[in-house]
Parts: sequence; structure tokens; C-alpha cells
Amino acid sequence: MIFHPTILALYISSILITFMVLYAAFYGVQILRRWNLASGSEDQLILERKTYLISTLLAYLFGFELLSLFLYVFTVDRLHTFFVGAMCAAGALYVNSYGYPALILKVVNFLLAGFWLILNYADNQGYDYPLIKKKYSLLLLIAPLLLTEVILQANYFLRLKPDIITSCCGSLFSKEAHTFVSEMSVLPSHPTEIVFYLSIGFTAISGLYFYRRGKGGYLLSSLSGITLLVSVVSILSFISVYFYELPTHHCPFCILQREYGYVGYPLYMALLGGTISGVGVGLLMPFRKIKSLSEAVPSLQRRLALASTILFLIFTAIVTYRMVFTDFVLEGI
Amino acid sequence: MIELNNVRKVFNAGKPNEFVAIHGVSVSIDANRVTVLKGPSGSGKTTLLSLIGCMTRPTSGRIKLSEREITSLPERFLTEIRRKTFGFIFQQFNLIKGVTALENAMLPAYPIGEKHISLKKRAMNLFDLFNISQKAYSKIEWLSGGEAQRVTIVRALINNPSIIIADEPTAHLDTKLSQELMEILGRFKEEEKTVLIASHDPMVYESDVVDRVINLRDGKIDGETA
Repeated sequence: MIFHPTILALYISSILITFMVLYAAFYGVQILRRWNLASGSEDQLILERKTYLISTLLAYLFGFELLSLFLYVFTVDRLHTFFVGAMCAAGALYVNSYGYPALILKVVNFLLAGFWLILNYADNQGYDYPLIKKKYSLLLLIAPLLLTEVILQANYFLRLKPDIITSCCGSLFSKEAHTFVSEMSVLPSHPTEIVFYLSIGFTAISGLYFYRRGKGGYLLSSLSGITLLVSVVSILSFISVYFYELPTHHCPFCILQREYGYVGYPLYMALLGGTISGVGVGLLMPFRKIKSLSEAVPSLQRRLALASTILFLIFTAIVTYRMVFTDFVLEGI
Repeated sequence: MIELNNVRKVFNAGKPNEFVAIHGVSVSIDANRVTVLKGPSGSGKTTLLSLIGCMTRPTSGRIKLSEREITSLPERFLTEIRRKTFGFIFQQFNLIKGVTALENAMLPAYPIGEKHISLKKRAMNLFDLFNISQKAYSKIEWLSGGEAQRVTIVRALINNPSIIIADEPTAHLDTKLSQELMEILGRFKEEEKTVLIASHDPMVYESDVVDRVINLRDGKIDGETA
């Protein structure tokens, strides 16, 4: 099973990413300990040259890390046919105890990689490496998480046993499952819809306000984080139900399948992209007053705020379109 | 002002063929003056010019340009400085054959994205200034050595740089053309440009237009002549 092309692609990319990140982390430690721009020593000049190369390589690798989340979900979804009981990625992930932890870590690393890319882009706009220590500090946080992700992912794929009977998403995301996630699945739909639209509305207004006035960066950042959480709960509670037109089916994975036009991919991409851009605005707030970034960072923040607003609105538009143009009526369930 | 602080340049560091081209040079070069780096072949003149002109990075040490430290700059900032601050006149003319003198002269300005009409006008004014406007549409291979040299000067000036760097500019010129070139370089002082020349030609370092001669030997400063 591990010779499945997408699994091999995930293995190779994960190994490459981890190797490079560990290599970069090694230099990150040296940069944090020895970086001194005032010095013209040979060591300092070597670090300056290395960081330019390393950050360029990492930018590409983290770009692939963003894609690998969707490749992982796609692969797991394809694997569900091998397991009795699995109807989609939800069941396939449940085959052993590594599937879901690997997925959660992939989402965390997806967000962290996005934040690192924003920080790296901002740093490259300054002539004096203004964010170099922050950038490499974040890298040192990401490195062990990426390593753990690779170990969990490898364990998941290596321990797949085709004779295992797993649970289907219908039981995993139902009231009877008595888990935290299943409790969210059965939240009353009407109040959840109100909270969802309010959070999207406030985030969009905050994003547009920042885009026009350049103020309220921390607010936008916080609202973007809240919107991510509210949206995930909403997907479990009512959004998925509208797509399946089945009041008892709350699976967040089936929407990734062909039967639903792969709508889950644009939905999750827009949600995660909007979150990274929105939180990224707040992430850059402390660096607006750095002399070499005083022009570049506010401009970058405005673009991120606009991107965040557009992506959240795309997410909402897909959801709303489905809710409006379906014969299915959920209210009262 | 250009300030070099303990600059060292090593080629092939750590390998059997390691070569130290510049040994901890510290020097300040005044703005709006003509300064000559004088020394025999292999003394490090061209390497030092390349370091100052942001074409290569030192192994250690720092270089400041108008109080701004440039050795630590990421490559894209260096490209910007090279493009806007320096004009280069090379020993080999490095003109592109098959295209006209005018196209050659305008080439360094293309990445800036200036409108072609205004760029061409500026280039033609410079061709007029150096009395070669009649050769503007001639291909490079049709030009004499002196004409080609003037085209390289126009090319060096096209982005209106504040510093002109010339590496052995008289190497392929006869006495008359060499004197003419030195007169042209001397005129740059009046336009508040800094001229930095590497040469071991007496026509250059004994010229009246030169303000300062820095002697180089084996990659070190070996005295100077004011």
C-alpha cells in the first residue's frame, strides 16, 4: 500500500522538507547565537550569505508544505476503499491511532508555514535583515513539529492493515459517538448559523477597515482566528448537512469527494488561506515601526487584509449558494 | 564617500589553490574626486574595484557607501545600488556586437523601465556631448577603438551614476585617446561625480586631473600619492 504514488509523493516531500528544515534550524541556532550585523567578521558574512540561500529554499519547501495538507487528505480519501466500513477519509484516518494526530499536526504546520512565509517575505523587504531572529525563532518552533508530523505520517501509512474493520463517518460524527467533535456536530443549527455569519461579517468589515485605514490589525487577526474556529464548528454543525442534504450526516470529509464536486477543497483552501492572511496582519503589527520596513510592512498588511477578506467571502459565498439554492430545509432540526 | 574597513577577499577559501587577493584593506575615498588605484598586475586593483562596485562580496570586512553599509545587503538591494550608483568602464569594452552603439549605451537603463523616448533622448544628448552622435546607429564592430571607448563612457553615464568605476580604461588606447579620456574623466568632477580608476598606466596616474593615487601591492596598500 505504501507504493501508492501519492503516498510515495508524501513520503519524499516530507523527508525533503524535514531534512531542509533541520538543516536550516541548525543554522538558525547559529544565527540566534552569533548574528551581529555590526561585525564584518568572516563568520558573520558567511551567515549573511547562508541565510539568503536557506530562506529561498525554505520558502519553496513551505509552499509545498501548504500543498501537502491537501495531498494528505486526498490520499487518505482515496485509500478508504481498502478498508471495510470506511466511506471517506474520516474512516480511513480512523484505521490506526496515527491518522488523526497526523492530520491535526498537518493543519497546525500548514498555519505555521503560512505565518513563516509572511514573516520571511516581510524580512526580505528590509535591507538590514530586520526580522531574521524572529524568523529563525519561529523556524525552531516549526522544526520539531514537522519532524513529529513526518513520524506520525510514516507510522500511519506503514501501519495500515487492510483487514481492519473501521468506523464510517456517519458514526464518527454522530451524537452517539460521545466525543468532543461529535458534540459539535449536533450543535443546534440556527444559533450556529447566526454566530457563523456574525463572525464572517465582523471579520470582513474589520478586513476592509484595515485595508482602507491601516488600523485595527490586532482586531482583524483575532477575528480571523475566531472565524476559523467558528467555521470548523459550522461545517460540522450545518454546512456539511446542506451539502449532503441529509440532516444526520455531519462529516467534514465527504465534501472532498467527487459526488460533491470536490467542493471541500476550495472551501478549506479559502478558509485556511483567509485565516493565514488575516492572522498575518496582526503578526506583522509590531514591525511597522522598524525603519527599513516602515513602508513595506503597512503595504503588505493591506494586501493581506484584502486577501483575507476576499477568501473569507469566497468561503461564505460557496456555503450560502448551497444553502440558498437547495430544496433541502434544515431549520427546526 | 566610500569607506573600506579591514576588507579581505579570499578566492577558493579552504582549498589547495586558496588565494588571498586583498589583505585587510582599510581606506576612505572622498566624493567628487578622481582617485587612482595604482599597482602592478595581480596587486588586487580589479578585485578592490569589484568589491566597491558591489560586483563581488568581501570574505570579511565592511564597505560603506555614503554612510550606508553595503556588504550585508541582500542581492536585490545590491542590484539596485549597482544600477543607480555606479557606472562601469571596463578594460575590455564589453560592448555587444551586432547591435548599434545607441542600443549598447541604453542597455543598463532598460531594467529601470523608463520610457524609451526619454531614454533615447538622454542617450543622444550624451552621444552629442562626446562627439559621436554620427555613430549612434552604427554597429559596434564598425567603430574604431576610440569611438568604442566613448560608447562605453556613454553607457556608464546612462543612469546618471554618482560614482564612475574604470578598470584599466587606457589599456587599448593610444596616447592621444588616453589623454582625451582623462580629460573626460576630469570633467566628471565638475558634475560632482566620484571617479575611481584602477591602472598601472603613467598616462593615468600622472594625469593632472587625478587628485589621489593609492598604491597597491600584493593586495595591501603600499603608500599613496596625494
